[in-house]
Amino acid sequence: MKKALIIPITICVLIVLAFATTSAYRVPTLELKFPGSRPAVVKAVEFTVNGVKCRGTSNYFAQKIAGVPGVVAVTTYARTNTATVEYDPSLTDPATLRAAYERPDTLEGKVYQIFTTRAQRDLP
Amino acid sequence: MRALRTVVQLVFVAGTVGLLTRGLLGLTQNTCDSYCPFGGLVALFPLFKYKAYTCRLTELNTALLVSLGVLTVATKKSFCSWVCPFGSVSEWLGRLGRKVLRRDVKVPPRADRILMNLRYVVLVAVVVLTWTVWQFDLGFRAYDPFYILFSWGGHGTFPWSFAILAGVLVLVFVVPFAWCRYLCPLGAVMDPLSRLGVLRVRRKAAACESCGGCDAVCPHRIPVASVAEVTARNCTNCLECIVSCSKRNALDLSLMGK
Repeated sequence: MKKALIIPITICVLIVLAFATTSAYRVPTLELKFPGSRPAVVKAVEFTVNGVKCRGTSNYFAQKIAGVPGVVAVTTYARTNTATVEYDPSLTDPATLRAAYERPDTLEGKVYQIFTTRAQRDLP
Repeated sequence: MRALRTVVQLVFVAGTVGLLTRGLLGLTQNTCDSYCPFGGLVALFPLFKYKAYTCRLTELNTALLVSLGVLTVATKKSFCSWVCPFGSVSEWLGRLGRKVLRRDVKVPPRADRILMNLRYVVLVAVVVLTWTVWQFDLGFRAYDPFYILFSWGGHGTFPWSFAILAGVLVLVFVVPFAWCRYLCPLGAVMDPLSRLGVLRVRRKAAACESCGGCDAVCPHRIPVASVAEVTARNCTNCLECIVSCSKRNALDLSLMGK
């Protein structure tokens, strides 16, 4: 009976290790640098976005903010539903970025809002 | 031992159902495939080629695949009988089927041996199709009973996917463990590592009466009564053989032969 406990204990330890490892080392789902020279001053903001949940939605998120002047790069993480955007503060700001990706889409006469913001924080 | 395993199974099934419920209520964007180690396998090629994960796969799938490998080397295919929510559902359905049908449907041994190789065909087909035809999209989700059931027809499934799910559920009701034995590609992935399994069922010949009771209850038809140690790749360490053994200490778990 005691030896049987090895199985659930091993399972628990390995699951905890898997989650701990992935919390420490995040791998981006999408990493995109937009064309153009990098400005002297760059700020970064992290959005937690409902809708950023896979490679496809990450691409669409990047597409939505690509048209905003001053966007330098975007990195998304599907597991945590987060997107980090680097931008030129003299040309744009987080509110403009949010407005760009939260803009609703119309398909066959119906209006869809694909992305909504859950949280936002400035990165150092 | 059986109660311990049932508790662990219930925890994982409840966790998966809880995840589905949270998803249906809009409280999470993650689905059961976000936590499936098989995703780690199909993510390998695009990860090496493009340095990126595809579709919904993330580093968690890779970490869980590595964990599964370690678990299998340590405790054989205990994932199947202790963790896998679909394995648990099919085990319970199989038990119910045995009670309702009042007979134990067993595929003839020769056909059973041939059918067991189907898992490898399914594994190769899923991986190759994902890396080619489906262009790294998780196209197999439409055919995957685990995903169809625990995402309740989530993204990537079709109305006919439920027909596949129903077919598999009927199959495991009539032929217990048919999905796990003949079709599960993740089981095929674990096979080579399972042979190395450190924690094994050991039979003490001196105490054993060779009554064959353990052979009869083994869901994977392993001839426990005729081996000194169970090294079979199919052993899931469900411990049914030990639980059912009438002779005290005839069967036990051995760790590195001790």
